[in-house]
Amino acid sequence: MIDALSPVRLALIVVFGLCGLFFTFVSMAGVLRLPDVYSRAHTASQADTLGAGFTLAAVALAAGWDGAGFKTVLLLFFIFVTNPTAAHAIARAAFEEGIVPWTEGDERR
Amino acid sequence: MADDGVPGSTGGSVVVPIESTPTLRATVTHLVESAADGEFSAIHFVVFATWRDGDPEAADREASVDRLLERVSTWAEADLADVDEVDVDDVEVVTTVVGGDEYLFGADDYVRELVAYAGDHGIEHVVLDPEYTPVGNTTLLQSLEFALSRTDLVVREAPVARPTRRERLRKEATGIRFAAIFGLSLAFYLALGDPFYPFDVVTGVASATVVAVTLSRVSLDADPSLTRTPIRLLRGAVYVPVLFFEILKSNLVVARVILDPRMPIEPSLNRVRVIVGSGLPITTLANSITLTPGTLTVRARDGDLYVHSLIPWARDGLFDGSLERWTRFVFYGREAARLPTPRERDDVGIFQGPDATEEYPGARADGGSEREGAAVVDGSTADATEADGSEDAEEVTPE
Repeated sequence: MIDALSPVRLALIVVFGLCGLFFTFVSMAGVLRLPDVYSRAHTASQADTLGAGFTLAAVALAAGWDGAGFKTVLLLFFIFVTNPTAAHAIARAAFEEGIVPWTEGDERR
Repeated sequence: MADDGVPGSTGGSVVVPIESTPTLRATVTHLVESAADGEFSAIHFVVFATWRDGDPEAADREASVDRLLERVSTWAEADLADVDEVDVDDVEVVTTVVGGDEYLFGADDYVRELVAYAGDHGIEHVVLDPEYTPVGNTTLLQSLEFALSRTDLVVREAPVARPTRRERLRKEATGIRFAAIFGLSLAFYLALGDPFYPFDVVTGVASATVVAVTLSRVSLDADPSLTRTPIRLLRGAVYVPVLFFEILKSNLVVARVILDPRMPIEPSLNRVRVIVGSGLPITTLANSITLTPGTLTVRARDGDLYVHSLIPWARDGLFDGSLERWTRFVFYGREAARLPTPRERDDVGIFQGPDATEEYPGARADGGSEREGAAVVDGSTADATEADGSEDAEEVTPE
């Protein structure tokens, strides 16, 4: 199936796929490096927005504008609705529990 | 039982007007913990009589209030038993009924009774249960706090989490809302399936009916209007690319910060008072803020959004209010978008870090004070409680 694609489209698919990988990697590095639950929630949303976003864009390009491509766009839409809701739920739960966000000079948690 | 009236000072008495609320249990726990920290030596739980002695139903009501007070004193005893570091005999728990000799009408009446009771018992502190609304009047607490603020009593609200009010989620069921939800879910179902395949159509109608029956009372606040909704969708279509661009931009900035070996982050919690409608507009805005890396909506309190920012750049972007302006544009049109930025309106605050402008708004001071109390040595524990007490007193005002 990939053989039938034009070189430009193939290149775009590869570029988008790599971008998706890159942002997922950044997000992983952030979750490991950042100091507390709030700052980790920031970077976890990166994997969902651009990481999944670019990957799904690559999928949509590979699948073409028929059913599958349309479905990946829908998928992206739902990720964009649910991801901030989940991040907010985590942050709010942490806040309600009285966890004070990390600031410079604090010990790493 | 006299004390010097300084908030958080040791040894004072506190009066707590109560009624049966979902947060009463947590309020009792909070008071016992405050007492254990040395803030209070006696806790008076009082119920305002909603009857006058000798009324036909007085006996019944009195019996139910007595049951409530009995429950409260049992809770307080159980909580006192849980707190091991305090000598249980040091904390006195009193439960009583006041106001049985006359009818109480407004906040002023309640406050007068409360002040009289406090005067009789040498009490200078009042702690309010956040859900406390005597006579079931939902607006009363606000004016009760206002009326109390004109007295000499030191007032604060118990910092306990309010329960989710499920009732508020249920809205009127109307035909047009049912039709809208039904149409939307059917369209979604058929978009995923095949609109020309009869099996999909039949199962689609069945599942859309189930969705509409269960969710049409929950999902929509108001009837969708045929003129406004399409316009909003169109404006939303303009907004989406803008949001994508913002997300891309801040993703790159945040990625650079994270991959930087020094990781120059400067996180802080901030407050921004936004001028968008409640419900869908503020949800859209809060979700957009969270979607943009570097800013994370932690809490929405009235019109205030508490936003955690990872780097000052993201905080500045938040205070410049571009997303707020776009949200207003999507929901109310071009004119509404022209408003000064939150920074120009002075609707912003920073709670942490070197640029902090406001005090950190504890959600539950008890959780914090416990940790602090454990960390500090004997001599400074009183200071920690004092700081907590004044923080709580200030928290009453914005709510």
